[in-house]
Amino acid sequence: MKAIWQLSLLLWRQMAVLVGLAGLMWLGGVGLLAWSDGGDAGQTGTALGLVAFGGWFWHLGQGQMLRGLCRPESYLLPRFRPRLAGAGTLDLAVWVVLPCIVAGLRGLPHVLIAASGLLLVAAAGLASGSGRRVGLFLWIGFIAVGWKPHLAARLARVAEVSPWTPLLLALVALLVFRLALRPLLRIEDIEPDTSPLDSTGLGRMQSQAMQGRPARGAIGKHIQGWFDGMAQRAMERALSAYRRNPGARQRMTLIRSLLLPHDNPQAIALRLVLVTAIVGAYFFAVLHRPHYNAAVIGAYAVLLSLTRFPQLGRGMLRMRPNLADLYLTLAPESRADYQRTLVHALLLLVPVTVLSALAYTALGIVLVHATEPGRMLLTAAIVAAAASLVALAVHLIGPEGSFGRSLVNIVVVLGAMASYWGGYVLLGLIGATLGGALLALVAISFGLGVWFAAQREYQRRAPCFDPPPA
Amino acid sequence: MSLFDLSPAAHPPAHVPASTPTAVAVKGLEKSFARREVLRGLDWTVPAGRVIGLLGRNGAGKTTLLRCLLGLSPLDRGEIALFGEPMTEPGGERMHRIGFVPQTFDLFPWMKVRAYLDFTAAFYARWNTALANRLVGDWQLDPKQKIGQLSQGQRQKLAIVRAIAPEPDLLVLDEPVASLDPQARRAFMAELLELMRGPDKTVIFSTHITADLERAEADIALLRDGRIQFTRPLAELRARLRRVVFTRDGGWPQAPVVAGLLKSTVKGERAELLVEDPLPESLQALAAREGATVQWETPTLEDLFVELA
Repeated sequence: MKAIWQLSLLLWRQMAVLVGLAGLMWLGGVGLLAWSDGGDAGQTGTALGLVAFGGWFWHLGQGQMLRGLCRPESYLLPRFRPRLAGAGTLDLAVWVVLPCIVAGLRGLPHVLIAASGLLLVAAAGLASGSGRRVGLFLWIGFIAVGWKPHLAARLARVAEVSPWTPLLLALVALLVFRLALRPLLRIEDIEPDTSPLDSTGLGRMQSQAMQGRPARGAIGKHIQGWFDGMAQRAMERALSAYRRNPGARQRMTLIRSLLLPHDNPQAIALRLVLVTAIVGAYFFAVLHRPHYNAAVIGAYAVLLSLTRFPQLGRGMLRMRPNLADLYLTLAPESRADYQRTLVHALLLLVPVTVLSALAYTALGIVLVHATEPGRMLLTAAIVAAAASLVALAVHLIGPEGSFGRSLVNIVVVLGAMASYWGGYVLLGLIGATLGGALLALVAISFGLGVWFAAQREYQRRAPCFDPPPA
Repeated sequence: MSLFDLSPAAHPPAHVPASTPTAVAVKGLEKSFARREVLRGLDWTVPAGRVIGLLGRNGAGKTTLLRCLLGLSPLDRGEIALFGEPMTEPGGERMHRIGFVPQTFDLFPWMKVRAYLDFTAAFYARWNTALANRLVGDWQLDPKQKIGQLSQGQRQKLAIVRAIAPEPDLLVLDEPVASLDPQARRAFMAELLELMRGPDKTVIFSTHITADLERAEADIALLRDGRIQFTRPLAELRARLRRVVFTRDGGWPQAPVVAGLLKSTVKGERAELLVEDPLPESLQALAAREGATVQWETPTLEDLFVELA
C-alpha cells in the first residue's frame, strides 16, 4: 500500500499547480452534485462538467508523469506494474466512482452513462498526456459533432435512453486506456535523442516533462528519418561549400546547419507539406463552412508559425553545455563576437517564420475560398515578420524558468494574433497600400526596435554554458 | 587448461564449489542495434557469491549486456536466467533481490533526494534505512535538493545508495564510479565489499578503473567481439600471466615466439610479450639463443586490459 501511495503522490510532487486546479474542480463538481436535488438539470450538468474537465486535466498530467516514470529502470522496482495498477484504481475511484456514488445517492439520472463518460474522459486525458496518437482519434468524435451537429444531437437523444450506451462508452474507454498504456508498459531500447533545436513540427507542443523523450510511432519515426536525412545532406553541402570557399557567408551557413538542422529548404518544404496535409484534413472534416472569418485564418497561421520559438527557447537552454564546443571551435575574438554569431545564425528563423505564415495563410485562403487573399497575405507577412523578431528577441533574453517563458510566449502569441486582426481591419478601412504601409511602419518598427534592443543585450551578456536548472 | 578457453560455462573457476548456485546464466545472447551486432551468441555463467568486474573497450557492449541481463533491453536471441529463473522481462519477487546502478541516472529530475529515496523504499520488502541515511550523510547529499540540481557524481552516489539500500543479492553496476571523486570511489568500494560479506551476494560491475577491481579482488570477465572471452579470478590471472621483455641492441625484425604467447609488441630494442604460464628456463634459453636479455614481471590489470581488450 505504501508503494501505491507513493505512486499516487508523484503527480502532486511534479505538478502541484495542476493538481491544485484539478482538485478544486473536483471539489466544486462533487460539492455541486452533493448539493443537487436532481431536479435542476443545469446544475447537474455543471457539476459533471466540472468533474469531467478536472478529470481530463488531471489525467493529462498523469499521462505526462507516466511518460517520465515508465522508463526501463522503473520496472526493476518490485511489483511495479501491479502497484501502478493499484494507483490507477485509486485514481479512478476518486475521479469516476466517488462522483458517481454521490450522484447516485442524490438520485440523479443517468449515473451509469456519467460514470462511463468520466472514464472515457480520464482515458482521453491520459492518452493526450502520454503523447499517444490515440488521443488524436478522440478528436474525430468532436469533429464529427461539429460537422453534423443535428445528427449528433439525435444520436445523443437515442444514446441517453439506450441501455448499451454505458457499456459502449466503457469499452471505448478501456480501448483508449489500453492503446495509451501498452507502449508505456513495454520495455524497449532507448531511442537516440534528437537535437534540442530540431524542427520537424512533430510534437512541438509537448511539455517540458517530455523533453528528450519524443513519443514516436512508426510513421513518426519515418518522418523523423526524412528530416534527419535532409539535415545531414544540408550539413554536407554546407561543409563542402565552406571547404571550397571558406568565407564568412559559408561559415554562417555551416553554423546554421548545425544549430538549426531542420531549417534548410528541403526540410522547410517537407514541414509545409505535413502541415498542409494535417490542416487540410482538419478543414475538410470540420471547418468547411461557407462564411469563415478570414481574420481568424490569418491569425491562426501566424500562431502556427510562431510555435517554433518556444521550442527554440527551451532548446537553446538544453543546448547550453554543448555550445561550449561550438564556442571553442569558432574561437571568437571576444565573447561578444560569439554572441553576435549566434544571433545572426538564429536570425534565419525570421524569414522562415514569415514564409511559413504566408504558406499557412495561403492554405487557409484556398480552403475557405477567402475573398480577399491579397489583404490576408500582406497582413500575415507584415505581422509575422514583426512577431518573429519580437519572439526571437524575448526567447533570447527572456526568463529562463518555464513559467516565465510560457507567460512571455502567451503574450507574444496573443499580441501577434491581435495585431493580425487589427492590421486586417486597418487594411480593409484605408486600403491595402496605405494600410499596409502604416501597418508595416508600426509593426516592423516595433519588431525591429525590440530586436535591436534584445540583440544588444544578448551581446552584452557573457555566454553561458551551464546546464539548465532542473 | 588455458585461461582463454572460450567456454567458461564448461570450465568454471577451480575454487568455485560445484554446488554453488548460479546467479546469472546467459546462453546464446544476441543483440543488435540498427544492423550493428553488439552481442554475438554470448554465453556466460556467474556463480553466486562472486564479485565480477566486466571489462571491455568503449562500445564493446558492456552496458547492453548488463541491461539485457536485467531485462531492460529486449533480446534478439538467446536466454537469460537470474537465480535459476528465465529473465524475459523484469518482474516477480526476485526484483527484491536485485539492485542496479545505471551508467547515467536521469530519472525524476524534479524530485528531491529524500522524496526519491522514500518513493523507492516503499517498493522493497527490505530497505536498510540506517544504511541509506548514513550514506546520504557521508556522501554529502542534500536530502532537500532536487535530483536535477545534483552534479553527475552526486546523482551517481544517489543511484548507488538507492541500489545498495535494499541489500540486494545481485547488484549490477554499470560504470558506477566513473563520475566519483577518489574519496567517494573508495567509500563506495568499501561499502561494496562490506555488502559482499553476506552469503551468496553477487556483484557484477563494469568499469575502466582497474585499480578498483584489484582492490575488490574481483573475478575478471572480458567482453570482446560480442562475447565474454574469459571469466577468471584476478589472483589466477596474476599467477599465470607474465609480461616478458626481451632486449637486444640490434632490435627485433619480429617478436620471438614462446609457448603460451598471447600477444607481442616490438618497440625498437624491446620485444614485449604477454605470456601465459611461461617457463623461466625456456625464456632464459631463448634469450641466450637470440643474444638478448630477458626479464619478466606480473602485469597490472591495466596492462592486461590494454593487451587483451
